[in-house]
Amino acid sequence: MKRIGIVLLGGVFVLCGAAFHAVEAAQFYAGKTIEVVVPFKEGGGTDVWMRVMAPYLQKHIAGNPKILIRNIPGGESIHGVNQYVQRFKADGLSMVATSATNYFHSLLGVKAVQYDFAKLRPLLVNPVGGVVYAAPNLGVKTAADLPKAKERLVYAGISATGLDLVMLLAFEILGQDLKAVLGYEGRGPSRLAFERGESNIDYQTTPAYVASVVPLIKEGKAIPLMSFGQVNEAGALARDPAFPDLPSLGEAYEALHKKKPAGAAWEAYMAFNAAAFTIQKILWVKAEAPVESIKAVLEGVDRLQKDAEFNQKAEKVLGGYPALRGDRLEAAIQRTFQLPPEARRFVLDLLEKKYSVVVK
Amino acid sequence: MWDSAVVALGMFLNPLHLCMLLVGTIEGVVIGLLPGMGGTACVAILLPFIYQMGPHTAMAMLVGALAVVHTSDTITAVLIGTPASSASAATVLDGHPMARQGQAARALSAAFLSSLIGGFIGVIALTLSIPVARPLVLSFGSPELFMLCFLGLGFAAFLTGEAPLKGLVSAALGLLVGAVGVAPSVAHYRYTFDQLYLMDGLPLVCVALGLFGVAEVVDLLAGGGKIAERMDLGHGWMQGVRDVVQYRWLLVRGALIGVWVGILPGIGASAGSWMSYGHAVVVSKDREQFGKGDVRGIIAPEAANNAVEAGDLIPTLLFSVPGGAPSAILMGALIVFGIQPGPRMIQEHMDLLFTIIWSFALANIIGAALCLALVVPLARLTAIRFDYLAPAILIIMIFGAYQSSRHLGDLAVMLGLGLLGWGMKRLGWARPPFLIAFVLSNPTERYLWISVNRYGLSWLTRPGALIILGILVASLVYWFVSRKRTKPSETVQASSEWRFRPKAVFTLALMLLLAAAAWDASGFPFYAGLLPLVVAIPGVAMAAGQFVLDLRGRDQKDEVLDLATSEAAASREGTLRALLVFAIIVAYYGLIVAVGFRVATLVFLVGFLRFLPRAGWGRTALYTAGMFAVIEAFAWLLDMELAEGIWQVWP
Repeated sequence: MKRIGIVLLGGVFVLCGAAFHAVEAAQFYAGKTIEVVVPFKEGGGTDVWMRVMAPYLQKHIAGNPKILIRNIPGGESIHGVNQYVQRFKADGLSMVATSATNYFHSLLGVKAVQYDFAKLRPLLVNPVGGVVYAAPNLGVKTAADLPKAKERLVYAGISATGLDLVMLLAFEILGQDLKAVLGYEGRGPSRLAFERGESNIDYQTTPAYVASVVPLIKEGKAIPLMSFGQVNEAGALARDPAFPDLPSLGEAYEALHKKKPAGAAWEAYMAFNAAAFTIQKILWVKAEAPVESIKAVLEGVDRLQKDAEFNQKAEKVLGGYPALRGDRLEAAIQRTFQLPPEARRFVLDLLEKKYSVVVK
Repeated sequence: MWDSAVVALGMFLNPLHLCMLLVGTIEGVVIGLLPGMGGTACVAILLPFIYQMGPHTAMAMLVGALAVVHTSDTITAVLIGTPASSASAATVLDGHPMARQGQAARALSAAFLSSLIGGFIGVIALTLSIPVARPLVLSFGSPELFMLCFLGLGFAAFLTGEAPLKGLVSAALGLLVGAVGVAPSVAHYRYTFDQLYLMDGLPLVCVALGLFGVAEVVDLLAGGGKIAERMDLGHGWMQGVRDVVQYRWLLVRGALIGVWVGILPGIGASAGSWMSYGHAVVVSKDREQFGKGDVRGIIAPEAANNAVEAGDLIPTLLFSVPGGAPSAILMGALIVFGIQPGPRMIQEHMDLLFTIIWSFALANIIGAALCLALVVPLARLTAIRFDYLAPAILIIMIFGAYQSSRHLGDLAVMLGLGLLGWGMKRLGWARPPFLIAFVLSNPTERYLWISVNRYGLSWLTRPGALIILGILVASLVYWFVSRKRTKPSETVQASSEWRFRPKAVFTLALMLLLAAAAWDASGFPFYAGLLPLVVAIPGVAMAAGQFVLDLRGRDQKDEVLDLATSEAAASREGTLRALLVFAIIVAYYGLIVAVGFRVATLVFLVGFLRFLPRAGWGRTALYTAGMFAVIEAFAWLLDMELAEGIWQVWP
């Protein structure tokens, strides 16, 4: 009897505690507004992502806070995040939504960066992937055929310090010569360049790949070679869940060189690939924000993941990847930002020697 | 294909659908009017409201707004010589002089009608090109795109009028100002002075607004009086309609130029209206009236700027490569509904495609009708004493410019270019070459670099590139030949005395600026420095030549294709007054930086009204209250941010 009493009493305590927490969490955001800083223009990828998420977050975060999106573009999208870190309070009522370029600036050590991701807490993470595909006239069927390509590989890219860096590093690791013609306005124009034969090898991120490249593949105008792969929780490179039939870069390397990839180039690739794809979009809040506010949002994300309507409607925007709870990925995220010095050196040297870019 | 067209049209029978189209159109007309807001703002503002709608209704609303921005922005361009969006800057050149001559009604009705028909031609071209769009767009590689930019720059040369040295220096400056920010070739930052704000380059809206808008407001204030001393209302309205009928083929060609520029991503809407304007100048036999109020100078760009938006829908929807910021937002909105634009649009969402097309057409009619109805009351604005209008215009301009990146740098850019623009206007330097060069600076460099890097020199022999080059050469030849024929031998007496004149100081300043740009560029990595050096070094030489001409007082007749300064404003007192106005605006800016937009605006507005038009306290209070009511309503309704100061005393 005594034991049952203790168990019961304990159960009541736990329940009360949970109820108290639930009330507390509900109270935190009831009638409040969350301002989300988006360091990009209206209509950009991160802006659209946040705008699709906003109504569902509003629905699932206890207290149903209103979510207001504040676009602060410009300054290479460094400006907006700097502004968030410097001007907004750590009251749980302001957050920032970031994308790969923000992490690249931080990884490369760009001086204008005044933010430190270690001082922010990730709430919501959305991975995306990238697929490399080639023109049929190269005569290449798989990544292992690349050394036998009939023409020199020509890649149309935007900037060596942007997402293209992952592609450049990938070919550096594969040891394949790649002529990178940089200067295109964006991934869309560079896909056009591929279609009109200005380039013969290209990559696109998952949503654009599915919408614009898959039709080309069906027409026989493009051949998928590999995905960049996703960095898993153990820190290894795995196949992209959206493309289970395509080898990852790691597998492509093994097929070509009959050994596992390693070294500074590989470490750099793992960090930049994770930043570019595995953790591409993150909604952050300042680490000093009230604990109950962080808890309320994370619990909201839990409910969001189970929302059938959300999963169905948001599928195309999320590109077939789940929206993940930030705290579960915190270790992986922080690992990404601990780029070993020799790996950074490797990247900076590559940029300077091959692409005459000096990072300032 | 056509059954989807009917289905999509049928949806407009739904009152909600039609109602949202109307909401979008009215919003587009209102935002289009406000200097600095333009297409991007007008679509962005509507974005938060689309969640409650279905994709068709949402598209009707967004496209409704997008379709009419370039119809209503004409009003501001014509009446106060201020381009509300950068694409309407070309309309300022002839529209505003007409307003000053009391022909505002004629200018506006011609403009609206051209917009309407241009938009329609755009929609028809858009519909017809859906089946052939892919090969069409893909036939234009980087070399052809470069040649097209080069053609645009060539047109800038036609707009230099009779002062070619000044025009070319102006274009050189435009190219260099356009080079601020990251280079397309190498990730190197040029002329950014370690300012984060400058890394993405200067925002086009602020540049156009400063160069034309601020300069015009200052000039009008310096001249005193009203915009137009006499007015020609009802009669002028019909005259505008007759003008459009008379120049119908010019209109059609202008619209087609617009569609074409729109279909090719990467060149932009303002380049479309300038190319159309340049085309009108080149093919006209009598060019003397351009820049002084030639109605053809309104019809051509107005036909083009609506058509550009229609043409732009092709790459946006079929390739998911938006050509401009507004269509990028439209694409984002589609993604919100889970629709990724791309080649599959034709198979999977043909009905949506037609909703967009119909919305564009209907909005064009509604927008033009709305604007036409407003012609007469709006034209009356030109009869109000300008010193009463000016503070409201300046405040709206500052409010609007700040929306382009919500950074105080936006205002600084606008004011800096305002000073430059005023100096250029006052001293007879054509500003159009500057703006065209600015707009085309990045794409020209980008596609040249890509062409050379990809093809070496073999791209020069590509047929597409050669055809465009041929068009440019033919235009040049035609222009020179017909120029010799029509230009009477009007030689100017060169005064032999060497004297230091104020205008020489301006030329010297520009020369030093160019020299500094060249010197700085010599330290850039080779590929990043190539364009700046190629532009700045001849620029210095030409500026030096102009300096000598200035010293010798040799260019008295300056026939420049740009607005001229009124006599009152050109007098010594006028110049002093203009400098005073600048000082006031700079003080206003300083106050914004210090204490934020609201307090600064209150101080500026009260101070301005009391000391310039010497308004009584009653009027001042009423005006101030009205102005704040409008600002607060906008800021509240649309969740807009007002500039914050360092010592923000009042939110």
